[in-house]
Amino acid sequence: MHWVAGGFVFRRVESPFHKLDPRTKLLISLEFFAISLLAFAIIQVAIVLASVLFVAVYAKSLKRIGRTILMSAGFAGFIFAINLLFGVGLVSSLLYALRFLAIVSSTSIFFVTTSPDELEHTMKWLGVPRDIVFAFVTAVRFIPVIMLDAFQIMDAQKSRGLELEKGNFVKRIRNMVPILVPLVVNSVVRSGELAEAMESRAYGATPKPTSLYKLRLSRKDKSVMLVSLLFFAAVLYIYLRVKVPV
Amino acid sequence: MGSLVHIEKLSFRYLESKQWTLSEIELEVKEGEIIILAGPSGCGKSTLLRCMNGLIPHMYPGDYQGSVTIDGIQVREEPMGILAQKVGLLFQNPENQIFMFSVERDIAFGPENLALPRQEIRSRVDETMRLLGIEPLAQRAPHELSDGQKQRVALAGVIAMRPKLVILDEPTSLLDPKTASELVSLIQDLNTRLGITFVVVEHRLDLLTKLATRMVVMNEGRKVLDGKPSEVLSNERVGAYGIVVPSATRLYSELAKEGVKLARVPLAPSELTEQLRRIRR
Ligand SMILES: Nc1ncnc2c1ncn2[C@@H]1O[C@H](COP(=O)(O)OP(=O)(O)OP(=O)(O)O)[C@@H](O)[C@H]1O
Ligand SMILES: [Mg+2]
Repeated sequence: MHWVAGGFVFRRVESPFHKLDPRTKLLISLEFFAISLLAFAIIQVAIVLASVLFVAVYAKSLKRIGRTILMSAGFAGFIFAINLLFGVGLVSSLLYALRFLAIVSSTSIFFVTTSPDELEHTMKWLGVPRDIVFAFVTAVRFIPVIMLDAFQIMDAQKSRGLELEKGNFVKRIRNMVPILVPLVVNSVVRSGELAEAMESRAYGATPKPTSLYKLRLSRKDKSVMLVSLLFFAAVLYIYLRVKVPV
Repeated sequence: MGSLVHIEKLSFRYLESKQWTLSEIELEVKEGEIIILAGPSGCGKSTLLRCMNGLIPHMYPGDYQGSVTIDGIQVREEPMGILAQKVGLLFQNPENQIFMFSVERDIAFGPENLALPRQEIRSRVDETMRLLGIEPLAQRAPHELSDGQKQRVALAGVIAMRPKLVILDEPTSLLDPKTASELVSLIQDLNTRLGITFVVVEHRLDLLTKLATRMVVMNEGRKVLDGKPSEVLSNERVGAYGIVVPSATRLYSELAKEGVKLARVPLAPSELTEQLRRIRR
């Protein structure tokens, strides 16, 4: 029942890939992203997808990335159908659909293997203003909490006789009101307390707060970055120079 | 011991509110005290706490009269960043006071905001975790903690600011009895070891009366009783303010009416038993 909320919780996995600096992971993700975007042959996209899956296995995250791919497969199918419908050739339509999958899985490498903590540091490193970073942090922190809240309210209202699954579309929407009202009220109370607690712990007291941790590129990170950049350059060279049959 | 909190003729009215929530409050808190603040719902306990740590008037605007001085500084004049190092505030629901994704990072939140050097933050975090016995939780995420652990972590976040005064607003109301009494022992421990002064809004009087040096009762925005817990609890007016008097103390008052005068006001059954035994001899 509460597995949905669990899906929003980062799971720590021990893998050599997870241990890399988030910026290294970001670079790899971006390289895959660019390669998928620029690919003009099905074989290229297929190779990208295969490499992403290979990285996923290395990062012990095949299941999660696989699930992301499966979830976006529906939308890929939609892209395929629309293209066919508008007279784009079969092969090109397939290419567009696969390219979409490759792009999604490339980006998911970064998000699946990076903890919210690392994400926060990466955002700070990228120069995102502190308030925005903190808004992001609290959003991610409280999504599962608020979802659990929602389930509890649903249980409570069901036990008072609210029937969520009955009726036509309009009725069902209307049934959501007794869930949403307490949920919104709860969240407003929560954010009020949150604001008080932040103030009480000197949030915003200095323009440049320090941090317990600082991102540091290890030697391994540097070599992984270097190798991946060389690969990236090689792929771009192939894209430019070698004619691959579509 | 010196005076830590000095409140003089404090009145406060929230913006757009007709009634005064606090009326001419006078309160003096000495260093090292543990004070219970009690009173019926809506009498202004939380509001008074907000005045002590500066949320009023810095976050909540309104009509403010009188003065609150903490450790020699005027709450009204100093920014929250300074006040946060004097007074720590802990609320009922620890969930809403843990912002970060790991215990360690959360404890570091306050010191980070003060822009302390990394080494200093590290040592404060380690020291605080050791003090509260939560070192094994350092890398845990908030959702991996029990309610009692969350409460400890939230308290750690406050202690890491090295406050002289910690105020707690109904800290045990979401805890089971065992966890609640553990929190109370922790309060006692921090009080004796670090000399931290506590003001606690609490309904579970049985746990706190033993260590409290004083009890303050409020009603409709005014301070109505102030004294040793035994004095306040044996006062005949206390029942009128919706305070549940421990049964041992109630029995003492009943006996007194019948003409049986015990030497001391008992706060717990064990104290009462002892005194009765002495009488029988
Ligand atoms: N932010 C606010 N704005 C306006 N009025 C408020 C605000 N917060 C509290 N009040 C009002 O001030 C009065 C005192 O509230 P306060 O929360 O201080 O009481 P309390 O003694 O802590 O009660 P409880 O035991 O229920 O927590 C109440 O009448 C309340 O409605
Ligand atoms: Mg209150």
